[in-house]
Amino acid sequence: GAHAKMASPKTVPKDAQVMMQILKDMGITEYEPRVINQMLEFTYRYITTIIEDAKIYSTHAKKSTVDADDIRLAIQCRVDQSFISPPPRDFLLDIARQKNQTPLPLIKPYTGPRLPPDRYCLTAPNYRLKSLQKKVSSSAGRITVPRLSVGAVSSRPSTPTLGTPSVQTVGTKVGTPVSLTGQRFTVQIPSSQAASVKSATPTTPTVQNVLINPSLIGSKNILITTNMVSQNSSGDSTSLKRKHEDEDDYDAL
Amino acid sequence: MAAVQDGPMELDTEKETKPEILSDGTSKLSGNAASGTLSSSPLTAGGAPKQEDQQTLIAVLQFLRRNKLSESVEILRREAGLEDQEDSQTLDGSGGGKGDRDGGEANSLLSRVSITSAAAPQIILSTSVTNEQLDVSVVLSAYSQQGDPSLYQVYYSGLKNFIESVLDCHRAELSQLFYPLFVHMYLELVYNNHENEAKAFFEKFGGDQECYYQDDLRVLCGLTKKEHLKGNEVLLDFRTSRFVLRISRDSYQLLKRHLQERHNNQIWNIIQEHLYIDIFDGMPRSKSQIDSMSGSFAGEARREVNKVKVFHGLLKEPEIEVPLDDEEDEAENEEGKPKKKKTKKDSMGSKSKKQDPNAPQQNRIPLPELKDSDKLDKIMYMKESTKRIRLGPENLPSICFYSFLNAYQGLTAVDFTDDSSLLAGGFADSTVRIWSVTPKKLRKVKSAGELNLIDKESDDVLERIMDEKTASESKILCGHSGPVYSVSFSPDRNYLLSSSEDGTVRLWSLQTFTCLVGYKGHNYPVWDTHFSPFGYYFVSGGHDRVARLWATDHYQPLRIFAGHLADVTCTRFHPNSNYVATGSTDRTIRLWDVLNGNCVRIFTGHKGPVHSLAFSPNGKFLASGSTDGRVLLWDIGHGLMIGELKGHTDTIYALKFSRDGEILASGSMDNTVRLWDSTKAFDDVETDDFTAATGHIHLPDNSQELLLGTYHSKSTPVTHLHFTRRNLLLAAGGYSSQ
Repeated sequence: GAHAKMASPKTVPKDAQVMMQILKDMGITEYEPRVINQMLEFTYRYITTIIEDAKIYSTHAKKSTVDADDIRLAIQCRVDQSFISPPPRDFLLDIARQKNQTPLPLIKPYTGPRLPPDRYCLTAPNYRLKSLQKKVSSSAGRITVPRLSVGAVSSRPSTPTLGTPSVQTVGTKVGTPVSLTGQRFTVQIPSSQAASVKSATPTTPTVQNVLINPSLIGSKNILITTNMVSQNSSGDSTSLKRKHEDEDDYDAL
Repeated sequence: MAAVQDGPMELDTEKETKPEILSDGTSKLSGNAASGTLSSSPLTAGGAPKQEDQQTLIAVLQFLRRNKLSESVEILRREAGLEDQEDSQTLDGSGGGKGDRDGGEANSLLSRVSITSAAAPQIILSTSVTNEQLDVSVVLSAYSQQGDPSLYQVYYSGLKNFIESVLDCHRAELSQLFYPLFVHMYLELVYNNHENEAKAFFEKFGGDQECYYQDDLRVLCGLTKKEHLKGNEVLLDFRTSRFVLRISRDSYQLLKRHLQERHNNQIWNIIQEHLYIDIFDGMPRSKSQIDSMSGSFAGEARREVNKVKVFHGLLKEPEIEVPLDDEEDEAENEEGKPKKKKTKKDSMGSKSKKQDPNAPQQNRIPLPELKDSDKLDKIMYMKESTKRIRLGPENLPSICFYSFLNAYQGLTAVDFTDDSSLLAGGFADSTVRIWSVTPKKLRKVKSAGELNLIDKESDDVLERIMDEKTASESKILCGHSGPVYSVSFSPDRNYLLSSSEDGTVRLWSLQTFTCLVGYKGHNYPVWDTHFSPFGYYFVSGGHDRVARLWATDHYQPLRIFAGHLADVTCTRFHPNSNYVATGSTDRTIRLWDVLNGNCVRIFTGHKGPVHSLAFSPNGKFLASGSTDGRVLLWDIGHGLMIGELKGHTDTIYALKFSRDGEILASGSMDNTVRLWDSTKAFDDVETDDFTAATGHIHLPDNSQELLLGTYHSKSTPVTHLHFTRRNLLLAAGGYSSQ
């Protein structure tokens, strides 16, 4: 239950009491008890950051103590980094005026699925085939961590379709069965074969990109030339705009 | 910030910088172009300085005089060709409203110049008095001092006493002044660093304000320093945009006469500067009328804003051959309506071929053509609609409630397809899940290699392209990196849109169950998205206070609807796809024209953020629900509020009209679904005689009569409502065990 009993004020430390009072003053009456902890953590972190910054500024100005001006400057500098507010209204009205002047584009008939140019879609394969080496050391049963090389093909490297904010390694997420839907991915096999299942170890330079046909949900594993077992479940390929041949993908063993 | 320290040498630079600072200041303030704000004309070299520059020069003169730099004063006066400026200038047309000069304090400084529209005698220029600003440029900012801060309480009490002494009929209208005046005076005190006076002022008068402003006041209470104002866009907008009040001419005359009689008419200055008084001829409004329309951040809407012609009619349905079968009498006619049914409210136009005058042209905005699959869909639709149940007060719909179990309060959005075959849920863990409501399972399309192998000429090719091995009850779509706040199916059931806190709107394919496109434009949480009833276009609204219109094949928005003062929380298309309605946290609802992006209607009246909108199937009316628990009904054509449905006790997140518009269903966080008689609510409007000029209707308090039923769920708040094609009501919500 989320609305557990609130700790009685006597047993609560003083700064938590202050936080509860602040919430009450701002009119917030219902909140989960962990909110207090989160608010306190945030407050602590914010204030220490500001004070540290202020200390730097005051030593830079060769002052002996930190005074209000330093704090003010510290807050000023942080505000633009951490708390970005939406653009001001006149700016919005301006760009709206510009945008709304162009007439609506005509719609071409009979063009199939109406999607933006491929560069702006997430439908491109996010892998690149290098030379396929047939001979790979047998490591049946060894599972490697697949690694996305997103940057090569897609023009939107910041939105890997796995939904992770970072681009490079998605090892930890990939371990969960529901993380991938229909995307192909590269498997980089370190030649040292030291990869473990759940770690996101960066691979060594001497790797090869191999295409793995994503296996179906809960069904048999499909290996391609490497005896690698993919533990990820996902569906079939996405769009029909694929440029690569797909026949290579189906070397089932 | 250029402070003139000494001598004539600095004078020229001072002159140069002044216009810059002025134009900087003005550009921040030209928020609402429609309200006729400032003109910033730079000083033309050699030519006679324009109005505001003249005032700037006067300001500089006064400053120099105060600092006893008499030689500089002479030089400046000679060069600028100014007359002896013993009395501060005013160009106020009415000749009143003078900034006074207390003994000793003689700085008159420029605040704002506004060019008015011909309608009302609004502000042209008001000069104001400061008593301690040494920095001239600081004074040129938005909140120039209007007088001694300790006297603010006196001014306010003076006004209060006056208003309480007028006739009853005027008192209600003039009481509208209290809140905006209070807020502006408080913000001025804060902005000019009079923290103690601000706090005292707030304590004394904060409790007097209307109850529906209490939330805002609580936020204000926490703002005591100037730094707090920075970065708070909502308050900055409030400062710079004009609070609109509608006052009858008689009441306005009373007020004006009173304020101009006095010497200290700081209040008059504030009114002229920050308020827009929309004067109308007619009876003063009663308190209840005023209360029903007020509540938004910027007061009410000016009447001329709501006078634009809106094409709220429906587009003609294309002619489609409906195959004969036993149940239908007629194969085809203009509307494809079978003869059995009586005229429905959603029939396209009339039986004649004449264009409905209220309907937009077919090609007013480009719309996608009908594909064969769409035509088949339409035929299905018509067949289903013959079996539709006629609802009414005696014939209430059955309600089927879909409870999401084990969602851990993470269910944030739900949508049904139009034919009620699929159900999508957006969750706080950034996933979207799709379920099949019918026994038919969800299947993915085969991969390209396998598709090559199938026989493309066979009859059941549409079945063969589906991969049986992927059949399942539900599918999960992962891709967002933040909670999914809204989902919307496309009318042809091929696509699903989802919008999320990560600032993107994603388009998913329902044939491969993968993500196709991520539309980036809002860089802030996107609270709502909605597909157009014809597909291809969709609208999204978010924290950045704008709504954007997109087309699926453009990676950038086609239209930007900017104008709201706070987040856009709800976006809906009109049934004819030519207009978009947006509800916002600033308690207003705006209607936008897709063709040119203009705001054609502003509806005020809610006392809390608006979270749900629903257009009636005939396109004439709009229903809206908000956190204040009321459902308001609006007539789009006339731009008026025509009904108020009270009953819910918590935020209303779901609103839907039945297929023929006879019943309005509303679902709320108080775990109930309520059904309202919309036919009756709209019928009453037709017979009433309201004055279109003033636009004020006396709303009957008939919520009880219009309420047809209240249905409680067992601790499940209602997130979404949907009427099937046969008028069965489906509801959805996440079960919460508290």
